[in-house]
Amino acid sequence: MSSPALEAFLARLYAEEAALARFLDDPDAVLAASGLDPAERAALGVIDRAGLVMAAHSFAAKRSGRAKPRPAGRVRRALATLFR
Amino acid sequence: MRQLSAGDRFGFGWRPELAAGILAHLDRVDVVELIAEDHFGAGRTALRALRTLSAQLPVLLHGVALGLASTVPVETRRLDRMARLIEAIGPESWSEHLAFTRGGGVEIGHLAAPPRSAASVEGACRNLDAARRITGSLPSVENIATLIDPPASTMGEAAWIDAIIRGSGALLLLDLHNLYANAVNFGQDPRQLLRRLPLDRVGMVHLSGGHWIEGPMGARRLLDDHIHDVPPEVFELLTELGRLAPQPLTIIIERDGHYPGFAHLLAQLDAARAALALGRQAAAA
Repeated sequence: MSSPALEAFLARLYAEEAALARFLDDPDAVLAASGLDPAERAALGVIDRAGLVMAAHSFAAKRSGRAKPRPAGRVRRALATLFR
Repeated sequence: MRQLSAGDRFGFGWRPELAAGILAHLDRVDVVELIAEDHFGAGRTALRALRTLSAQLPVLLHGVALGLASTVPVETRRLDRMARLIEAIGPESWSEHLAFTRGGGVEIGHLAAPPRSAASVEGACRNLDAARRITGSLPSVENIATLIDPPASTMGEAAWIDAIIRGSGALLLLDLHNLYANAVNFGQDPRQLLRRLPLDRVGMVHLSGGHWIEGPMGARRLLDDHIHDVPPEVFELLTELGRLAPQPLTIIIERDGHYPGFAHLLAQLDAARAALALGRQAAAA
């Protein structure tokens, strides 16, 4: 049980705060409108809710970290210094 | 790419903060691992420096964003970019994660565990074959840590990893802290989980640390964060791996922040050598 549609649904839960809030508030309604097949909807109906919230927060923190200056420049500067 | 050398090797993930320490201790650091995405935009001078680095000591390339464990085919342009970097730097080998990182046009921003199922096994094997065709070499694949029990899964973690490793022919980059975190977070015995993995296919090992976080409904889980020391439990798993897997292993310590003095990191590397040696000795006894 896995499909591009299921991965897209999970990606939205993991990355979009509003989508996660809607799902946590009323999972049945969100799943009914999801277009996923019955087996996928049933599996998501018993999702690990605590894990979902913790994972989404962790992903948000990662994205926030990426918004800071990319390390690539620091990597290149370090290399340029070392191998000048 | 250069051939793998014989014998166990120990090194660090290459980070700017660690560069001086690594280069000052090449007598104790056998190998370094570069994050591929840090260098996709590198100019000729920087790439020349990286090639110089790879001439000084073995360099491994590590991707973090391809999202190979997906039912969606990996985009050719992403693999083309990896192929160009491999060509420019000349690493000994490269690796990626058993994760999906996007879906339906939405970027998750990090490594997410897909539903563990026959469909994602098939998708991962198809994507790994595409990676091999486009880059010229098959990446090793790494088990990831997850804070959520992957929904809609029909397979356990070990069986799922085993199916991908057997189906694709890839080597396993075994992250022992990821294994440990998943085991303690989802009620499994870490040693038993280790033994169920395809240990004969392990070529590389990642070691790192993490910390416990609190969640809703009283949930408490171990987050793999790469900013803490490798815990004793993970060194014990390395000893067990050394006992069970006789092939040469490349051990990389990953540290992404809260950097201690380099002497402290060298002590962690020494602890890894000692832990693996203990397992080797137990196997020989």
